[in-house]
Amino acid sequence: MNQRVAQSSNPLLTNDSGEHSHRVALTTQKTAIITKQMICMFIILGTFPLWSEWVGLYNYLGAEIAIWIIYALGFNLLLGYTGLPSFGHGAFFGIGAYAYGLTQLGIIESVWAGIFFSVLAGGIAAAVVACFISHRRGIYYALMTIAFGQIFWFTSMRWHTLTGGEDGLLNIHRGELNLGFFSFSLSETSSLFYFIFAIVMLVTVGLWRLVHSPYGKALQAIRMNEMRARFLGYNVWLIKWSVFMISGAIAGLAGGLFALVQQSAYPDVMSLHASGLIVMLTLIGGGFVSYWGPVLGAIVFFMARDTLGAMTETWLLWYGLMFMLVIIFKPEGIAGLWQDLMKRREKRQLKVNGSTENASGEAK
Amino acid sequence: MDILINLLPHIVNGLSLGLLFGLIALGFMLIVGVMELINLAHGSLFALGAYFAMTIINPDLSSWGAIGAWYVSLPLGFRYFLGLVIGAFLVALVGMGLEVCMRRTYGKKAEYGLLLTFGAALVIEETIRITWGSGEQFLPVPKMMSGAFIAGDMIYSTYRFYAAGFGAFMIFVVWLFLEKTPFGAMIKAGAHDSEMVRALGVNLTRLRLYVFAFGALLAAIAGIILTPIWGLRPHVGVDVVIPAFLIIVLGGIGSFWGAIIAGVLVGLVVAIVGAYASQWSLMSMYILLIVVLTFRTRGLLGKKSTLEN
Repeated sequence: MNQRVAQSSNPLLTNDSGEHSHRVALTTQKTAIITKQMICMFIILGTFPLWSEWVGLYNYLGAEIAIWIIYALGFNLLLGYTGLPSFGHGAFFGIGAYAYGLTQLGIIESVWAGIFFSVLAGGIAAAVVACFISHRRGIYYALMTIAFGQIFWFTSMRWHTLTGGEDGLLNIHRGELNLGFFSFSLSETSSLFYFIFAIVMLVTVGLWRLVHSPYGKALQAIRMNEMRARFLGYNVWLIKWSVFMISGAIAGLAGGLFALVQQSAYPDVMSLHASGLIVMLTLIGGGFVSYWGPVLGAIVFFMARDTLGAMTETWLLWYGLMFMLVIIFKPEGIAGLWQDLMKRREKRQLKVNGSTENASGEAK
Repeated sequence: MDILINLLPHIVNGLSLGLLFGLIALGFMLIVGVMELINLAHGSLFALGAYFAMTIINPDLSSWGAIGAWYVSLPLGFRYFLGLVIGAFLVALVGMGLEVCMRRTYGKKAEYGLLLTFGAALVIEETIRITWGSGEQFLPVPKMMSGAFIAGDMIYSTYRFYAAGFGAFMIFVVWLFLEKTPFGAMIKAGAHDSEMVRALGVNLTRLRLYVFAFGALLAAIAGIILTPIWGLRPHVGVDVVIPAFLIIVLGGIGSFWGAIIAGVLVGLVVAIVGAYASQWSLMSMYILLIVVLTFRTRGLLGKKSTLEN
């Protein structure tokens, strides 16, 4: 009983009734804020400009990968953690890009303001959409996201006075980044890359914390069994609504950065094709089983585009075939393969240990 | 009254468009109804059928000598018919291949089927791009059906009416097939309670294969009939699969007449909005969908389906 009283004093852990002890159980496992994998990823991505030219790649690719890592991590919050398939996420990416562009061209030429508005616009658009779809599941959910995605895409193509139609917004200057005590120009790709890389680090750590918080556990409870989660006292609708909004805001952030890098914003990124690509990329990487799935997926996608794309013009065919094979044989993706490999090694290790123990036992 | 007279041609247009939408949705509906599978490759099979037909109607037979010359000299109507039959049949074979790939996703979440067919759509589209190029192409129609006629002060394309009539005919045929044949009864029973049907000794695995092939066949027929109106591009599939998907959900998954009504409704809305604000005509159907689904969560005539889980 005492425990319950102590518990209800913590607003994070309880709702109005204050007696859901399972939440305590869910949150007792401590997770490190920064893990080995995270450091690994930061080192590999952070040193990209140093070795990219050496292996025949270019700096700009690093910026692109970094943006898509942000986008895919945010998307996987929805797909992998909550089990909600959104086929219209490109809309929020595009809205973020337009918001960035419109801020630069119409309001104020400031990178920070642009990014602020792109996050805000992505989040608001997603929050509105989420109002219509959060009581749904499965295919109906997917369909509604497609419908909304198409509406946004259509609007961006047709609303010439605001979005510039099919050409989009052009001539968005990269400008200067003001850090308060000093400012530097983002016109050079490597400084741009490091700016985006810093945001990648923030997003990675932030989302890692989020999915290991009680909220993140609730997301996973919804994925496993929505009805059970509701019976356990979670406000499922609100959680689904908020996760969609967060995911949309992150997509908006990625979109804003995309507009910064591309110096333009156009409707292509909002099409069904582009929205489908983010689903494919997240799944191939293994978003269903690992936090790192989307990161792997983004890297593999862009590497495939550049290496396969250099060899053949039909690289999308091969990528599509690869995707089909992944869905048929290994829906857990690359991260799933890796986990299998680790498990097998562990088993072998155990076997080796076991046999040596046996051997020593016999020797006695 | 005046408004009604002004609207009349748009309503006629809308009805014909609606029948064509219904034709597109038929094969899609069959697969959704029986297999509870959203086939996102439907549009690509649609495009593939049209490309096959185009190649059969106007093949490049310069290296075949006399036989080639003889074939090209055959009447266009005959070659068109040949293209319709053989093209649809070839696409049915492709559909069978796809179904075999799908088998591992049965019993898993419905999203896997959706994703696999999305991948298949990408692969088919890229294959079309490699084989036939990415430019706009043209599917010829027999002289008898082309041309235009004037009624009132509007010009109508003759082919459009043939196509709408054919759409109505196909809808009728599929309805007869589902309602009046034992095969149709088996399909519907399989959709309703697959375990029971299996227990009664029906080979459900084969049934699913045939249903998928039939769905693909209908997609290809729709493609061959419709591309003379809409033009033939590799990405025509994407333009088509979304309306089909939308019509099925609007009508209610698993409901034959729901899909047909939804098709006609979408056709009317698109045509009437198109008359007053042509730029926004295609968007009106998405808004229609959202409005309907907000108030009727299972669509117009929908029943409960496992796809909701």
